[in-house]
Amino acid sequence: MSTVTLKNLVKDYPNGFRAITDLSLHLDDGEFLVLVGPSGCGKSTALRMIAGLEDITSGDLYVGDRRLNDVAPKDRDMAMVFQNYALYPQMTVAENIAFPLKLRRVPKAERTAQVLQAAEILELTEQLDKKPAHLSGGQRQRVAMGRAIVRHPALFLMDEPLSNLDAKLRVQMRADIAGIQRELGVTTFYVTHDQVEAMTMGDRVAVIKDGVLQQVDTPESIYGSPDNVFVAAFIGSPSMNLFEASLTGSDEPDGGYSLALGDQRLAVPAEVVADRPSLASYEGRPVVVGIRPEHLEDASVAPDHPDDQRLDATVDVREALGAETLVHFNLNAQSVDSGDPDALDDLRDTGRCTARFSASSQARVSDQIRVNVDGRKLHFFDRQTHLAIRG
Amino acid sequence: MQLSRPPIRPSRIALHAVMILLVVWSVTPFIWTAQTSIKFTRDVASKTPVLWGYETTANAYRNFWLDSDDLNMWGVLAFILVVAAVATALGLIGRRARHGWPWFLGATAVICVALWRFPRIWEANDEYDFLVNSVVVTILTMVISLSIGLLAGYGLARYTGISGAVILIVALGFRALPRTAFVLPYFFGAKEIDDWLTSTGVGSWNFPLIDFPGIDTLQILDTRLAIVLALVAVNQPFTIWMLRSFFIEVPKEMEEAAMMDGATRLQAFRKVIIPIMWPAIIATGLFTMLLAYNEYLFVRVLAPTEWTLPVAIVSLTGGESSRTITEAAAASVSITLPIVIVIILFQKHLVRGLGAGAVKG
Ligand SMILES: Nc1ncnc2c1ncn2[C@@H]1O[C@H](COP(=O)(O)OP(=O)(O)O)[C@@H](O)[C@H]1O
Ligand SMILES: [Mg+2]
Repeated sequence: MSTVTLKNLVKDYPNGFRAITDLSLHLDDGEFLVLVGPSGCGKSTALRMIAGLEDITSGDLYVGDRRLNDVAPKDRDMAMVFQNYALYPQMTVAENIAFPLKLRRVPKAERTAQVLQAAEILELTEQLDKKPAHLSGGQRQRVAMGRAIVRHPALFLMDEPLSNLDAKLRVQMRADIAGIQRELGVTTFYVTHDQVEAMTMGDRVAVIKDGVLQQVDTPESIYGSPDNVFVAAFIGSPSMNLFEASLTGSDEPDGGYSLALGDQRLAVPAEVVADRPSLASYEGRPVVVGIRPEHLEDASVAPDHPDDQRLDATVDVREALGAETLVHFNLNAQSVDSGDPDALDDLRDTGRCTARFSASSQARVSDQIRVNVDGRKLHFFDRQTHLAIRG
Repeated sequence: MQLSRPPIRPSRIALHAVMILLVVWSVTPFIWTAQTSIKFTRDVASKTPVLWGYETTANAYRNFWLDSDDLNMWGVLAFILVVAAVATALGLIGRRARHGWPWFLGATAVICVALWRFPRIWEANDEYDFLVNSVVVTILTMVISLSIGLLAGYGLARYTGISGAVILIVALGFRALPRTAFVLPYFFGAKEIDDWLTSTGVGSWNFPLIDFPGIDTLQILDTRLAIVLALVAVNQPFTIWMLRSFFIEVPKEMEEAAMMDGATRLQAFRKVIIPIMWPAIIATGLFTMLLAYNEYLFVRVLAPTEWTLPVAIVSLTGGESSRTITEAAAASVSITLPIVIVIILFQKHLVRGLGAGAVKG
């Protein structure tokens, strides 16, 4: 049984920089866990601590019941796929894949059989006699995979294995890797900065920022109920729109609330309030409200929508993607910095809102439009702590 | 349509003229020496230079290397050619083979056996000892320099702390000092040690197994050991810097991958890093070889009688010897040819070693 447990892992680099703060995680046997976060947030550091390539400053690492903190990388029974593949240039594909077996003194006949089997799974049979220099990027990636799967380790570690591939190949390999992992049932710790990879591949997704774990959950839960502003903004593409708004009790008889979003008002459906009793304590105060682009729709496409859940907007940019149309407009409201360094660009243009309309939307640049807001899908966060307001 | 040749511009003509001049400039003395070595003294001494049509002879070679006056030199030439051909062939096979080192070892063995048998087949002069000295000093200097350089270069490439930087700067400083500055300190140091060995009586002990052949007491001055130690010391900064610059180009992930695959750090170094480094090792080895093989000053001072070939040749020209200019020429050609062969075999590595980027994955 190879469950993996990280208990309060901390990593301080020799220069004093704390790259990982108090990281606790648990991987079930056979689970595919994706650690995702912007670049520089400590993903590789975390992975390398598990691998034994970096010392653990404090905390404990267990595989099964065995504490591995002071075990050499070679004795941890883990296989790693590196971002740049790290294939041995002087060896052929077959020798590369056989290398871990050779180090374990597996007899030659058995070695050859296992290499052939791995090559078959990865469709590398034709390439076995070539040197890595003569392979395409995708083939190199698969050789690196082959070197990992050939020895049936307790744990796969993968550090952004797809980031050097072109977009099309990445989609293909995403499915392939997930498929192979499921077939072999090897517990897998996968690191990426690409939230699409995280969402599509992981049984569970762990979001990390500046060395601090933000949330661990299934892709659906991470997407559906993000714990904080950062996770909300980081997961999903295009990103969730996040604004400061103030929550006011409405005069309506049903006692609902409404949001003052810039100079516009938006009703908060009663069921949303019912789900979040603590929202009441925010009355009269500013909160952070989040709206995913896919929960906005052109009112002319869907006319049956409560009128108090609509916003007026002027189209700034229109991107027709075929299956859908992205429309950008400005809400006269204060945008919120989610803390995602890659998103900073969008912030210069405060109040900017992105909507994902169905392709039949006729909205053109400079058009005055009305936008339906799916009020049931609104997200609320505390303005100070950036934590989700729930329960 | 015709492919147009690049236009002939004055600058191109000038460039080519300069290059041709440079080649003539550097090759002429060697051709001159080679010619001299196969002429009779009367042609060499003639007032008008005899450039062609002269009678050739191997006398100079025979007189320099052998004790005999009338031996037919064709046999010697055939012997040398066969040895060179066999060694070269083994070396070439080794370069193509997947595991080259048994072939290189074979080539080295052939040369060693030839060097060992030669004076027993023909009566060799004292100068033959100097050739053996040259070979031993060169090989030992290469092996020791490379061993230290590989470990130190690897360590300094991977360790980026402050003390690593200090070591590198100090090494560079020593490299920048003129070597002349070191030769006297080495001499006096070695002399101190020898005096001490003598005073304790250890110096007069016999260590037939430890000592190099021909020295039957334990001493440092005037041994090949002195030359090797000094050459390793002055050459080490260079090998460390050069090998380090190659190690830096090998991604750290390479050894990390090996360790994840189940290798110890040493196995990762031996089985993954070193094979990637072969071109760099050969290049650095060649530079070290040239340095050791060509060394004059250190040998002259530290080994007053255990000369290597450069010292032996210079002694022919200074009027210290009654031997003729043709013999000096023959000696020069003999010492140059092996190096030329090695350089031709490995010139690809040498050129790559001069530029960076030899070990890309
Ligand atoms: N050897 C090191 N010494 C000091 N800081 C480091 C070292 N390695 C990485 N870091 C820092 O730690 C942080 C996390 O790095 P890393 O784990 O590589 O991030 P990621 O893989 O998420 O992009 C970065 O800010 C990086 O600058
Ligand atoms: Mg990384």
